[in-house]
Amino acid sequence: MSARKIPLRLAVFGAALLLLLFFSNDFGLIDIQKTSIVTAVAIDAGEEGIDVTVQIAVPKSGSTAASNVTVKNAATMMDAIAELNLKTGWYPTLVHCRLILLGEEAAKDNVFDHIDYFLRSQFVEDTCLVALCRGRAEKALSAQSPVGDMTYAAIEKVLSSEAQQTGLVSVNILREFSKGYFGAGESSFLPLLTVREGAETGGSDAGSGDANAGGSGGAGSSGGKAVFEASETALFLRGKQVATLGAEETLAFNLADTDTDLAYGNVTVTERGEPVIYSLKMRIGKKLLKVRAEGEIPVLCFSIRARAQVADVNRAGSAHEVAQSSIVPESVLRAAEETFRARLSDAFSKAKESGCDLFGVCASLQRFYPKLWKKLGKEALALTKPVYDIQFDTMH
Amino acid sequence: MEKKKNSTAFTGGAEENAKLLKDLLPAQDILVYRFATADAKPCAAVFTDGITDKQLLGELAARPLSLAPAPKTREEAEQMLLFPELRRADDAQTAAKEVLSGNPALFIDGVTGAIILGTKKVTLRAVMEPQTSITVKGPREGFIEDVKTNMSLVRRRLITPDLRFEMLTLGKRSGTAVCIAYLHGIADERLVQRICEKLKRVETDGISDSSYVAQFLSSAPASPFKQVGTTEKPDVLCAKMLEGRVGILCDGSPIALTLPYMMSEDFQSAQDYFVSPARATVNRILRLFAVLVAIFLPALYVAAQLFRLQLLPFGLLMTVSGGIQGIPLSPSLEIFFLLLVLEILIEASVRMPKYVALALSVIGALVLGDTAVKAGLVSSPAIIIIALSGISAYTVPDLTGTLSLVRLAYIVAAGSIGTYGIVLLTGFLLYYLICADEWGVPLLAPFSPLVPHDLRDSLYKADIWALNERPNVFRPKNRVRLRKKETT
Amino acid sequence: MKLCVRQICFLFAAILPVTRLLVYPATLTFWAKNDLLFSAALSFLLEGTAVASVLFAASRTQKTLFQLLEENFGTLAARAVYLLFALFFAFSAFLPILEQRGFVLQVFYENVPSFLSFLPFFLVSLFACTKGLRSIGRAADLALPVFVLCFGILFLMAVTEGDYTALLPLFSAGTDILRGGAFGLPWYAGGAYMLFFLGNFRYEKGAAGKIMLAYAAGAAAVLAFLAAFYAIFSDIALLQQNAVAHLSKYATAFTSLGRIDLFFVFALTLVLLFALCIPLQLSVHCICAAFSCKTTLPALAVNALLLVLTLLFNQSYLEIQTLITQKLWIVFAVFAVLLPYVSVFLRRKEKKMLPKGEKYERT
Repeated sequence: MSARKIPLRLAVFGAALLLLLFFSNDFGLIDIQKTSIVTAVAIDAGEEGIDVTVQIAVPKSGSTAASNVTVKNAATMMDAIAELNLKTGWYPTLVHCRLILLGEEAAKDNVFDHIDYFLRSQFVEDTCLVALCRGRAEKALSAQSPVGDMTYAAIEKVLSSEAQQTGLVSVNILREFSKGYFGAGESSFLPLLTVREGAETGGSDAGSGDANAGGSGGAGSSGGKAVFEASETALFLRGKQVATLGAEETLAFNLADTDTDLAYGNVTVTERGEPVIYSLKMRIGKKLLKVRAEGEIPVLCFSIRARAQVADVNRAGSAHEVAQSSIVPESVLRAAEETFRARLSDAFSKAKESGCDLFGVCASLQRFYPKLWKKLGKEALALTKPVYDIQFDTMH
Repeated sequence: MEKKKNSTAFTGGAEENAKLLKDLLPAQDILVYRFATADAKPCAAVFTDGITDKQLLGELAARPLSLAPAPKTREEAEQMLLFPELRRADDAQTAAKEVLSGNPALFIDGVTGAIILGTKKVTLRAVMEPQTSITVKGPREGFIEDVKTNMSLVRRRLITPDLRFEMLTLGKRSGTAVCIAYLHGIADERLVQRICEKLKRVETDGISDSSYVAQFLSSAPASPFKQVGTTEKPDVLCAKMLEGRVGILCDGSPIALTLPYMMSEDFQSAQDYFVSPARATVNRILRLFAVLVAIFLPALYVAAQLFRLQLLPFGLLMTVSGGIQGIPLSPSLEIFFLLLVLEILIEASVRMPKYVALALSVIGALVLGDTAVKAGLVSSPAIIIIALSGISAYTVPDLTGTLSLVRLAYIVAAGSIGTYGIVLLTGFLLYYLICADEWGVPLLAPFSPLVPHDLRDSLYKADIWALNERPNVFRPKNRVRLRKKETT
Repeated sequence: MKLCVRQICFLFAAILPVTRLLVYPATLTFWAKNDLLFSAALSFLLEGTAVASVLFAASRTQKTLFQLLEENFGTLAARAVYLLFALFFAFSAFLPILEQRGFVLQVFYENVPSFLSFLPFFLVSLFACTKGLRSIGRAADLALPVFVLCFGILFLMAVTEGDYTALLPLFSAGTDILRGGAFGLPWYAGGAYMLFFLGNFRYEKGAAGKIMLAYAAGAAAVLAFLAAFYAIFSDIALLQQNAVAHLSKYATAFTSLGRIDLFFVFALTLVLLFALCIPLQLSVHCICAAFSCKTTLPALAVNALLLVLTLLFNQSYLEIQTLITQKLWIVFAVFAVLLPYVSVFLRRKEKKMLPKGEKYERT
């Protein structure tokens, strides 16, 4: 064999090998026909270990249905996934998993005991939404959406970036949640999902590996319709839930620290001796969260500039008033400032008391005042003094 | 050799010479036309029936000779004959070649040797628009099978003494005329020399078409990639020659070859030069996109289904997943067999008569496509993918054959090792292509090696004033091809 | 056939930066944390000065390293040095091969694929090795547009997602910055590459400036990438092996199209393939120069060696990475940094400089 022909012959050999692989089509690959596409995972604390429910997308002609499968008492997430594979015969792929739902009980221990699986695996996107759920996550994932969506899709809409922009929900993805957990403050937050009104389960309560068609959009569901709400926010310290922000505090938190740029909120003003509720549409012009050091005291400055417009008032207005909705009375603006200052203060206090570094004080100190951070360490949050600079102006 | 030549030299009278020649050419279609001059000296014309214009032979050779006394010398005879094209042959070998080409050999008693009369008559098809490169705007002439006609088509467009034709005869038995055309002062004459030398070294029985010549000129004839450019249009050949390329015309073939060849040529169409540069650029980018779709789409579809579902957005994944339910074949085999069916349909429709081909395409589209989907043999997305890929490949007709093979290779690579197989095969092909430069110009020029000057007529088509210089990649002797005249 | 200055520029601007986008960012984070930019800059500085010193040598001679060594120390010594470099290049390719294996198996597949999937790489590299140095230059010509387009898009998709204050406070890692710089040297063999381009490219006036500018552009691209990487992942940056595959997935502009960034990552893998072939090609080049033989057999030998090593250490990436980056980085410091500096001191005759703008033989 001449040396010149060796690469050619090797190439021919390689091509032959490829053809063999191609036609045999049996070299351990798991193709689309053997894969179940997991869209959401619910994790609950079990009696021994964890209960994991996955929602699998099932293609039907012209639409997609869902099927929930539950594995009970798995030692680890990996165990649960392996058991799913074993029981259903389908290899679950998590690349399209968009939602991780944590049960309330699960959040009493460090949730990273379980969800670090998603960080270890390269085959799960850390862009997926993470939320805490009142009650069992499995039940929430089995609830049926009134608009016929798959459950995960309905929850995903509630936790969408559009919802975040209006300040109603504090959305978090796995990457940000993990960054908070591994960060200086070891703190993070998750939206707290509540299933409202007639949210009866339609999914599986069965034992290990039982697969039931259920959830939303699935045929044969016996449950009622459910609506999802995520206006509250759960605060986490070292992976455990330590406090909960109410809807108003969540809105204030969003106004101060997240991507919210257009929010709606109510302000109560006393007019002619009677309380009047103004619903304001607020456009956030500027928000700044800054940590500075005053001596050895960290100071957290909230600076918010917003423009407001009257969206509604709970008393009938004159034609003139209605026509001038874009002009907000001075008293309402000041009341709005005071209201949001109070709510933000509540949110900060709640976080501070629970030890959750919701506003990233520790991280800011670590970055901008490393010496002070070194000195104060974890005590920094407790010593932090908030300063509020909130100014509302009328939109026109 | 000399001895052999002497043994066939024409030494006798007309009858003896004609007999000598006829003995050399015993075929039945070689005829001898005998007549006499006014003073009864015998004359004989040996000719090939069917490719000689007998009427011309009679009118312009036999008639003047029969009305006058016999000429004494060949010069005198040539003056009597009214042919514009006359040659001489002193031996039977030379004369035989001419006779076989359609030019009769005329013997006159008392005149030494033979006079070759240019009365060749070949039935030719008319110059018409080639089927493979139809343009909406622009010249519609195409080459035909006669090299002389083809040369004339080139000459008509390049009325310059710099247009040179080097004639070669290839094929021991076919004696095919091959013409190497180039523009003196523009083309690299060392290249012309190399082409001539390479072709002269070829010893073959016969050449049926210019594609034989193309293979002789290729360093790797087994390669799926073209190494010689082709065109059926004289205007395209002339434009390429004006850029510094060398054209090769082959008798019996309507396809002219051009050298050096770059792959980017195939993305250019004659029409690009007759429309606005913006339109031409968009067209070229579309062609490139279509080629990428043709090659990569089926492979990526297979790889995505087998190895990387995330390549498909969720909605599409659900559609595909729904579509393939119950399909008995694996995704890779499904695409492979569909591609095979496509290739069979194309092959059959090319070979079939026009009207049957129409019916065949209906059968292919409806029966094989629609029914197969309904029967659950193949999925709708797979049909769409293959159809899209098949159609896309035809946006660059000169590359269609190559694309079919490459696409198949990509599907095998994707089906075996997934997207990484696609990357590896691309790497392999690129290494192959960037090092393929038999004629001094790499196939991937002007992209690799990068020749920035030439990019202006590659995927991007600059306006005519920006194309004032010939492509640098051909190292033309005279670089400027356009300049504005000074006006007074 | 010689390389041209443009192709070397493209090599430094487009091909070598890609090799630093996989495991390197996470490795740097492990040592230097938020100061990873300084560690990287240190490595760039070392490599850059090595490249610059070879360019200085190139400006004074048209001879190859082999000829220079031959003139200074004799043929035997020249052969010995070339053989040592052949070994070095083969060795320097080992970690990137394992790195790319990990990258391929994680980014190109969703389920645990067969290791066989990666092996065809050696067929491609074998083919590339038989093609000689000019294929490096021509591959660089193709790599630049691919890199500019894909890296540009990936970077643009990522750049707004990060919180760049995560890079603060500066110099907090202290001596770990130096450690990061030293342990990152296995990703910086450009100085050694340049040494073997000596005499294999035509030095023209201004070439050194162009090449150094291209080098700076490549370095800037990597530093920008590292900044965006740490800004996006900060405290979990360490977990992000194969950084380039993760950086751009957060862009929401193309959400409806799915992971569109993966297509650009795949295209960059092609550039990575070219980059991975370079040390192997240079290893073959060294063997061929030392023994005055054709490329086929050395190419087979080098690829077979690496194939065997890859098979042997298939499951030991972490151990190999630890060994090479933390213990054997000194080998890289010697071959890729120190020896290029030494090249300046090799005795040579003056050469006639070609005027700027003169056209050379096309490569």
